[in-house]
Amino acid sequence: MRFRPHVLSSLAGALICIAAFAPRSAAQGKTEAACVSCHRARSESQPRTPMGRALALPGANPVLKDNPKLSVRKGPYTYTVETHADQSTYSVSDGARTISVPIHWNFGEGAQTWVLDYNGHRYESAVSFYPSIAGLDFTTGDEDLKPKNLEDAIGREIELRETKVCFGCHASNAVTNGKMTYDTLRTGVTCEHCHAGTITHLIDASNGDFGSAPPDLRKLPSEDISNFCGQCHRSWETVVRNHWRGRLTVRFQPYRLANSRCFDGADPRISCIACHDPHQDVVRQDSSYDPQCLACHSPASSSPAAASPASSASAAATPQTHAKICPTAKADCVSCHMPKVKLPNGLMTFTDHQIRVVKPGEPFPN
Amino acid sequence: MEINRRWYRSWRSKPQLRLTLFVILFITLLPRLCSAQASPASFSDLAARAAAAHDADDLPRAIDLYQQALKLNSQWPDGWWFLGSLQYATGSYEAARDALSHYLELSPNAAPALAMRGLCEFETAEYGPSLKDIQRALALGAANQPRNEKILRYHEALLLTRVGRFEDALRSYGFFANDPDPNPELLLALGLAGLRNPLLPNQVKTDQKDIYISAGGAAFSFMKRDADAAHAEFQRLFDRVPPVPNAHYLYGYLLYATDPEQAVVEFKKELEVNPSNANAEVMLAWIPLLRNDGSEALPHARKAVADDASLPSAQLVLGRALSESGDPKSGIEYLERTMQLQPDNLEVHLALAKAYSKVGRKEDARRERLLCLEMTKLAMTKNEVTNNDAIPPTRP
Repeated sequence: MRFRPHVLSSLAGALICIAAFAPRSAAQGKTEAACVSCHRARSESQPRTPMGRALALPGANPVLKDNPKLSVRKGPYTYTVETHADQSTYSVSDGARTISVPIHWNFGEGAQTWVLDYNGHRYESAVSFYPSIAGLDFTTGDEDLKPKNLEDAIGREIELRETKVCFGCHASNAVTNGKMTYDTLRTGVTCEHCHAGTITHLIDASNGDFGSAPPDLRKLPSEDISNFCGQCHRSWETVVRNHWRGRLTVRFQPYRLANSRCFDGADPRISCIACHDPHQDVVRQDSSYDPQCLACHSPASSSPAAASPASSASAAATPQTHAKICPTAKADCVSCHMPKVKLPNGLMTFTDHQIRVVKPGEPFPN
Repeated sequence: MEINRRWYRSWRSKPQLRLTLFVILFITLLPRLCSAQASPASFSDLAARAAAAHDADDLPRAIDLYQQALKLNSQWPDGWWFLGSLQYATGSYEAARDALSHYLELSPNAAPALAMRGLCEFETAEYGPSLKDIQRALALGAANQPRNEKILRYHEALLLTRVGRFEDALRSYGFFANDPDPNPELLLALGLAGLRNPLLPNQVKTDQKDIYISAGGAAFSFMKRDADAAHAEFQRLFDRVPPVPNAHYLYGYLLYATDPEQAVVEFKKELEVNPSNANAEVMLAWIPLLRNDGSEALPHARKAVADDASLPSAQLVLGRALSESGDPKSGIEYLERTMQLQPDNLEVHLALAKAYSKVGRKEDARRERLLCLEMTKLAMTKNEVTNNDAIPPTRP
């Protein structure tokens, strides 16, 4: 691959600025600015995706700006989230006493949960914002908490281990060598979150050396892609090892996909990136996924290599098989075979990635 | 006496009378004789007398009567249960085990009987069957009262240690983490599991007890989430001369779920004490494997197998490391070998599912996935998942 001289010079300029005027942490944070020199389309679209906006700081949270006063009563406690001049405050009151804490960490782009600090302890907020009701309700999974006092009612206390997991997925450069590193933290999933070695690549690329480019993730087998995305979206292995079961697992797409009869870890036609481009916003139109289904479920299905961006090496390992043809329809496959499932709280709906022939009245398969 | 003699003489001198009387007596007594041989009344009588002796705490008499009654009716479940439990109470463990086995033939899922038979087998040093019975009893709900649960969990942990399943034993001891005042015997037992010594507390030499109690105390502090106390106690253990084998391993193992980086430090220190500690190498491979980093795991996995090729967990991490660092076919060979050794190890099946999937053995991968789901479902049913998340959830 050869780059045009002006691209190289702008990349070098960006890197010189980073190297000369910024400490390493800031340099890491500004990689996107440099990435855009060569990878413009992806670098520009990715920050606008839900992954790119998985964490927001005060002042950069449109959800709370659009909903400046939120309130809900849950049992003996009243929860309020108020926003004034870019600062949001989370309060819980039992009528006699009120605890108020500033919101520093806004997790999630649509539905939103807050990570709060109070008296040296860290909490996941007991209530979250749900777009489906444009209001507050119990945070998913925390419905059964029984607070003993007002402090308990703030939310579920989280330990350092869980904090690292939360920030590790919703932010970039938040965890370094197993330690929380708030000074290098970048909100949301940025380039270097997935593409390890970005800084080295930038420096080498400025010298015309592209040999140290981060590994091309598209070349990974589907099984490895599933595990890679599953680091945050929960891999099949993670869910099984933790004994997570039930309808809530519909949130864990790699797990659900791997449970599909058609999942084949060596077939690039069925992998996370066969259907989704993580640099683009998720596509909601059912018919847009038909080509991916028909890549297998069609008498004229194309070879795996042609059907996916995966490498020919990976495709070569794949048997050239045609799956069953749907007797009912030729379009909108996912509308039947990947049903939309509401979480038990009824507040969020997910597409079930366990691809199957759905039978009327059957329980959630798990 | 004179009358009797006269009656006897006339009886002898009149044969016809003798025959008549015999026939009358036979006809009159026949039903009673029959009922005396096998009638419910007699069995009932014995059962009632056994129960009365039992109520009166006359255990030897009760045992004798239950045995007599069971000779008349071996299909009497309550009899076998009471006989077994009384024999257990009197220390006749082998006899109790046999009586309870009869009972379990009639009521195979009776959790209390399984629990008691497991305890008998513990006393008769049949550790494998004992563990199996106690775990099945726990799965069937034998731990229905706090006292019963304590007894069963403690014995389960002792047995897990005795059969060399040390990490599982630590998880069982996690049940006692809320005990405000653990006794030295518990700490000794915990220390044995922690320092990986497959002994029962009563088998430890007197001059060695102190080390195990110290290790148990440090592990106990960790389990009750007193990290500072645990750290201090482990430091004291580390300062001992000569170094205590497996002490750093224990601390590393306890740390790895919450602080894997520090756990790695401890495992490496363990290797300074004992360079051929295959378990420490296994953990040094396992931690990167949980991050999907097969390449970092591979040298440790190879070393673990070199140190102890018979260790199933070493075979497992090598199989998985190979599979996840670009050589899934060789990895599968190791994993399949491990499966032969440990068919019930979830981690083996998890690794095999991934490895088969990577090489396109779709049906094999699916079979392993379904097996894993079934295994975890069973574990949930059996309540094997401890609630103490201060203890690492898994190791290979």
